[in-house]
Amino acid sequence: MNAPSTRTEAPPVLAAEDLSVRFGPKTALTGVTLPVARGRVVSIIGPSASGKTTLLRAFNRLNELTPGVVTTGTVRFNGVDIHDEGVDPVEVRRRVGMVFQQATLFPKSVFDNVAFGPRASGYAGDLQELAEEVLTAVDLWSGAAGDLDAPALTLSAGQQQRLCIARTLALKPEVLLLDEPTSALDPAATARIESLIHALKRDYTVVLATHGRRQAARLSDMTAYLAGGELVEYGPTESLFTNPRDPRTESYLTGRIP
Amino acid sequence: MNAPTRRRDTLGIACGAAAAAVMAAFVLLAVFLLGEARSVANPAFLLDAPSRAADRAGVGPALAGTLWLAMLTAALALPIGIGTAIYLEEYASRNRLAALVGSALAGLTGVPSVVYGVAGLALFVRGLGMGPSILAGGCTLAVLALPTVIVTSRVAIRAVPEEMRLAAYSLGATRWQVVRGEVLPAAAPGIVAGSCHALTRTIGEAAPLLVLGAAAFMTFAPHGPGDPLTSLPTRIFAWTTRSEQDFAALAAGAGIALLLVLLLVNLAALAVRRRMRGGAR
Repeated sequence: MNAPSTRTEAPPVLAAEDLSVRFGPKTALTGVTLPVARGRVVSIIGPSASGKTTLLRAFNRLNELTPGVVTTGTVRFNGVDIHDEGVDPVEVRRRVGMVFQQATLFPKSVFDNVAFGPRASGYAGDLQELAEEVLTAVDLWSGAAGDLDAPALTLSAGQQQRLCIARTLALKPEVLLLDEPTSALDPAATARIESLIHALKRDYTVVLATHGRRQAARLSDMTAYLAGGELVEYGPTESLFTNPRDPRTESYLTGRIP
Repeated sequence: MNAPTRRRDTLGIACGAAAAAVMAAFVLLAVFLLGEARSVANPAFLLDAPSRAADRAGVGPALAGTLWLAMLTAALALPIGIGTAIYLEEYASRNRLAALVGSALAGLTGVPSVVYGVAGLALFVRGLGMGPSILAGGCTLAVLALPTVIVTSRVAIRAVPEEMRLAAYSLGATRWQVVRGEVLPAAAPGIVAGSCHALTRTIGEAAPLLVLGAAAFMTFAPHGPGDPLTSLPTRIFAWTTRSEQDFAALAAGAGIALLLVLLLVNLAALAVRRRMRGGAR
């Protein structure tokens, strides 16, 4: 099940090890082992309710906010078990940033949205400078959103999602978890986000949960196929798409499973 | 042209008639109240003490008592009630005990106010030795207001979208930062509206205060929580039990004074809401 390790020789920045998650009686993930190498884009594909979101939220300890969740197994971030007693989940979330499927901006100005994370962590630097840096990175610095005082919710859907990414970048995280970031967007806005993810690759490790098989193929170095909460196959994107080893992966890729 | 439009029109007319009836009822209420209170329409009425002679009686002590009660009730019920709501929604684990507490609170909102009076008599007046004081009245009214404050605040907090919480947590906010910075501002309008409703309902209560032993006749205004209990609603009750026509006018005047206090509370709530909305920007 593990990938041929030509591209994962470095110790993984993030790794799930025999990870299982259930919400009350409902099992969401079963025994998932998935190492994410630094500087890579890893796609997690799979049908709805296959556990993509749960896996992503396991990486930044967001699942534990849901009442009745039970997590077993290990998640390592830079080798450290993030469920260790000495680990502060707040610190984990600052270093493993997340962007959600629906743009979830606060009903505040563009600037206040970008400044939210840095302010929460007591950022000592110049917030204005930081805002310019991250808004430039997502191509929002010039144009409508360049107005830092504009209410964030007046931006277009695509701009809102890019602002969400900027807001997460302002934390200076090591890893970006993107949970179906384009599934609510039109093709043009999707294309912009995709080229943005391509550019972010230089500085960040990206874990991308996506519904779009072609999006995974276009963007990622490694792809994991999840079904029914189990990791069916994980390997280099090219070989997984052209030569899947598991028949279930093949039927998903050829569209026999929606 | 078609049935749906005609039906919508009929519905519109019916609803308009209902609204007009309500308006008319309120106007009539106001007219009768004002007409009844005509003979006491002077500023001295608000300050004077009640008297055996109807033409020299006023609501001064009762008005002061109600203002004290309103302040005490707000000072006790709002922080405790809103704090409890925040705890139950954001901190407490969702177990059976929490569910039990939730339904118990919902049940308590339906307990008649006079029963709270009996409990307050046992607990505050006798048990804690407060006597029939403003303090005992404020404590009893606070307990009476609490379930409503808690239940309405919980509803307002629960209405804040979960996505907003998750987004804030995912940006490395602590629980306190999420609650204080995002959840409470978003829930504030609902919390203020619910608290205002609970407070105005409560300070208009006569029954629990009568059970506690509100002074039937007080010639001086209470200066603090330790002074004897008196209030506008109990004053109104006392006057309406007299048969002379003059005292009916006094009761109506006291009713108007009570409405003015409630208006004051509503204006305060409005000011708080406006300030919060300004702060959120």
